[in-house]
Amino acid sequence: MAFQNKRKFCYFKENGIVDIDYKDVKLLRRFVNDQGKIMPRRITGTSAKMHRKLVRAIKRSRSIALMPYVENNFE
Amino acid sequence: MRYYETIYIVDPNLENTILEKTMIEIGQELEKTKAKIINHRDWGKKRLAYQVDNQKYGSFILLQFEIEELSRMNDFNSWLKLNSLVLRHMTVSLDQKPDKYIDKTSVSEVAENDDIQSTLDKNDKKIDVEKSLDPETTETNKEE
Repeated sequence: MAFQNKRKFCYFKENGIVDIDYKDVKLLRRFVNDQGKIMPRRITGTSAKMHRKLVRAIKRSRSIALMPYVENNFE
Repeated sequence: MRYYETIYIVDPNLENTILEKTMIEIGQELEKTKAKIINHRDWGKKRLAYQVDNQKYGSFILLQFEIEELSRMNDFNSWLKLNSLVLRHMTVSLDQKPDKYIDKTSVSEVAENDDIQSTLDKNDKKIDVEKSLDPETTETNKEE
């Protein structure tokens, strides 16, 4: 594979999103891997400020059963 | 004054009448704490990400309100926990005053109009066929 110089950017800054709603599962799914783990900032490119808000939103939606704590893909 | 949002999951197998009853009951219980309810609506039946009380689905209900002291909420929280119909609940503070939720009927009307407009733009032929079906429009076509 050739080296790809792909620019990383903060999804939220790019789209002008200020507040992250924990009910917006479709958006939050982008920042979680297949196992349901929260992706690190170095991979997603989210700014530190928005990453803190993102983590809070994901954890909230997990506690109300909108998102999984652990995703089992073998079922 | 601060604004809060409570989301709770109710057993999905309940009939609509019982669900409405429980919603009214919960609203009355909250009003005992001198809270002002802004929105109280059914968010719909959804698949849960993991099983809660052996249930795979749950109907979510959103409750937005304003209250002066959160300490009064303690009784309400414990009451909700003891309520057997409520599978799970969570209260979150809001930064801004929530907007009043508009009923589905008015929203769906707007959506329908949008759909009609989009279809008008995309394929005029289909609408010509629809128009020919209507008696009034057929007359105009004949005149033409």
